[in-house]
Amino acid sequence: MLGAGAARRPLGRTTVHVAIVLSVAFGLLAAAAGYWGVVKAPDLADSPNDAAVIAAGRTVPRGLIRDRTGKVLADNKRDANGESYRVYAGRQISQVVGYASATYGRAGLERSFDAELTGLAGDPVSDAFAKFGADRYDPKDLTLSLSWDLQKAAVAALGKHRGAIVMLDPKTGEVLALASTPTYDASAIANPDTAKATFEGLQGSADQPLLPRATLGRYVPGSVFKIVTAVAGLGSKSITPDTTFKQQPAAEKNGLLVDGYRVRDGHHPVTGSKALDLTGATEVSCNIYYALTGLRTGGANLVSYAERMGFDAALPFDLPTAASQVTNGQGKQPGGFTDDVELANASYGQAETFVTPLQMALVASTVANDGELMQPRLVTSMTGKRSGTRTIGPKSMGRIISATDAQSINTAMVAAVEGNLGQQFTSGAKVPGITTAGKSGTAQLGGTGEPHSWFIGFAPAENPTVVIAVIVEQAGRGGEIAAPIAGDLMTLYLKGGG
Amino acid sequence: MISDARAPVRLPPLPGAIGPIRPRPRWLEFRLLGLVAVALVVGSISLGATVNGRFSLFDTQGLLIYIAALFASHAAQVLAGRRTDQILLPTVALLGGLSLLLMQRLPQDLVTQTLFGTRFGLAQVQLIWLLSALAMATTIGIVVRSDRWLRRYKYTWAAAGVGLLLLTFVFGMEINGQRLTLQLGPVSGQPSELLKVILVVFLAGYLSENRELLVEQDSRVGPLRLPPLPYLAPMVAMWAIALVIVVIQKDLGAALLFFGVFLSMLYVATARLSLVIIGLILFLLGSALMAMLITHVRTRVDIWIDPFADPLGAGFQVVQALHAFARGGLLGVGLGAGLPEIAGRPPIPEVHTDFPLAALGEELGILGVVAILGLYLVVVERGLRIGAAAADDFRSLLAIGLSLVIGLQAFIIAAGNLKVLPLTGVTLPFISYGGSSLLANALVIGLLLALSDKGVEPPPLPRVGSRWRRIGRRGAA
Repeated sequence: MLGAGAARRPLGRTTVHVAIVLSVAFGLLAAAAGYWGVVKAPDLADSPNDAAVIAAGRTVPRGLIRDRTGKVLADNKRDANGESYRVYAGRQISQVVGYASATYGRAGLERSFDAELTGLAGDPVSDAFAKFGADRYDPKDLTLSLSWDLQKAAVAALGKHRGAIVMLDPKTGEVLALASTPTYDASAIANPDTAKATFEGLQGSADQPLLPRATLGRYVPGSVFKIVTAVAGLGSKSITPDTTFKQQPAAEKNGLLVDGYRVRDGHHPVTGSKALDLTGATEVSCNIYYALTGLRTGGANLVSYAERMGFDAALPFDLPTAASQVTNGQGKQPGGFTDDVELANASYGQAETFVTPLQMALVASTVANDGELMQPRLVTSMTGKRSGTRTIGPKSMGRIISATDAQSINTAMVAAVEGNLGQQFTSGAKVPGITTAGKSGTAQLGGTGEPHSWFIGFAPAENPTVVIAVIVEQAGRGGEIAAPIAGDLMTLYLKGGG
Repeated sequence: MISDARAPVRLPPLPGAIGPIRPRPRWLEFRLLGLVAVALVVGSISLGATVNGRFSLFDTQGLLIYIAALFASHAAQVLAGRRTDQILLPTVALLGGLSLLLMQRLPQDLVTQTLFGTRFGLAQVQLIWLLSALAMATTIGIVVRSDRWLRRYKYTWAAAGVGLLLLTFVFGMEINGQRLTLQLGPVSGQPSELLKVILVVFLAGYLSENRELLVEQDSRVGPLRLPPLPYLAPMVAMWAIALVIVVIQKDLGAALLFFGVFLSMLYVATARLSLVIIGLILFLLGSALMAMLITHVRTRVDIWIDPFADPLGAGFQVVQALHAFARGGLLGVGLGAGLPEIAGRPPIPEVHTDFPLAALGEELGILGVVAILGLYLVVVERGLRIGAAAADDFRSLLAIGLSLVIGLQAFIIAAGNLKVLPLTGVTLPFISYGGSSLLANALVIGLLLALSDKGVEPPPLPRVGSRWRRIGRRGAA
């Protein structure tokens, strides 16, 4: 029999248990809020799936992109729904500026500077106060160092060829032209009406027009790589400008025997039995001299100096870049070479060596700027309505070689364009009336295909203001195809006010 | 009415049905409501400044009507002179006020309803429901002085609840793959919101009556010490009902809520952890089975495990909610500054019903979320306190169950918003848009208010030898 009093057992203890469990559960919720709101917030907030990024991309007109003279390269229009879309100045800049499409995302500068162009990224202080204003976004206009005229001329010079041209100012690292062909119509991708057809057509194209060759194309360099070998040889004091190799003239006829492999040359009739120094060897592009220089310098030094100029890593640049390589690094010898044969061949750019056009422009820039390499850059200033103008100044990637060594290579490269023998190869690169330095390259690809035609150089040699790297895919000899293009473009820049 | 002559108990004087009204001041409630009003005015000015760029209230009319209604409710309770809880109303009023501000800043065409020939938008409809809910809670808090109508007819209520469920199964409209809504003429509602209150009433009645048996008698099944098996029948029935709700209504949230409330009330009443563990195991088994057999459930679980697998497709809603929390950060972007619209729509589909916490998380930040969660804990704390101080087991269990309904429901949907649990379609109490939800939760608050008054009719004496107990004895003998 249960009495009324006995029946009443306190519920308090179990109630407290339930309360504790519920409080812990709510604590878990608070922790989860902290996880998403603080720990994961940076990842989520910049994601292209973030609603703010999507919404800003559709409604807020992106910042404009202008060239160095103020010409608008990327502008905005509004479609029937009032949503903003991009219109670009022309096909010539598609590989640089890229596109911003609601459907196909972003490419080029539109991608690397997406946050700035949509106005989401700012400095922490102005961002903190932005929430108190009605206008959250502060799209920034970009001003580029690129010259629209020079870029147009560069794309026109490549014509129907596949290829790339990089022009930059060696003293500041400002990129003046960054052409890749074939190019494509970025406006047609940005326009919602034509986006699908255009993009699918481009994706299926065998020429890979969407590939920005100047920054992401990796090519066999051929003889232009000799400048890297010269930098490493002089820099590591393995050679001096006056160094000659006794065995070189003798080897010209039947080739230099390295571990059973013969390094051959094509110029021996013009130099005969003369032992060449740096200038002489560069003037006639002597493979044997550079193979011997590479062997004396050693794989470790060669790779080390190349890496100081940017090899083996993506370059610090405003656009994504592919890493250039001296060797694939799978060998056991110093620097990662398999054996001396590979080292000897790499020394004149014909082994497992692959380079981007931008990387080769930086090699020439190192020589042109007296041994100090300036970081390449495209965006020189950003202007937001709220945040004002921010100028991005030049930045050094460090001194690679002494000014004296750089001057020695400079002299050798002048000889390659203007010397009596050099003229026979690369006279097309000469800027009329101005001392021009350079090095052509004819990169053998193996098989029966035409070689890649290369040229790197700068002018005026006494006080260089423009550096150029030209590659024309499978077009023939460097001196015949790439060098005249380089000459014309440098002439346009130095004389034509481009 | 006391009819049991064997137990002479001196009764306190009962207040007459329409006795002399002695107003009793409720200063605590008044001060707290004042704070709530200040908070809402500041919130509305912040919203107005962000959206209109003017330093003024965003929607003066709506906000003033709401605040006036709060003080009217307060005045009515002062006049009624009952000694009911003074913290519940301000707490819930702040949640409701946040709901009003949120609905005002969302696109008004998310919901349109024509009433009496006038077209109302989202905030106006929500305001009407908020006012109705407030009136309901106040009225119940003032008028209900006896629990006989709940206590005596618990099986009738249970039958009504099952009937309601069956009606929904048969006549319910299927919206987004879930059969939750019952339409009667122009009015539609979600019966599961009312059902949760009925469930608590039934469980409070059943458990308070059979508590001793469940606690004190054992039946042994192998090594397990269990309460008398016949008394586990309702538990199995509950499990079955929960599964049926999932199968037929595809309503994971309601099933989780019902079962959670059932298990926690069972534990509070019996202190038997074994029952809870068995119940949880049954529930997990059932859920696993459902996840394997029912596509709708499996999709929800898949999305829960990795919403980022398909961020623009299946996982869109959940992923966008997480992005909203991320944009909000610690302090939030400010009322009106969040929820960037894509093609004129808020980024999170169904934000006003399923994801108000994510919206507030973006605009008020983690601090705001923690504050809102804290408000729910305050409601639960008041409810548990009322339960602990109640005159008998029925009232205790009723108050505890009602407060747990609010707490658990808030937990389930908040956990769904934050990817702690799979997303389920239950509403966030007092904040989500929706009449059924607001009215059902107002019913809960009204009952808690009524239960908190100790000067009411005392509970009936324990009925020695109730029908169930007689059956139990017979079974045990």
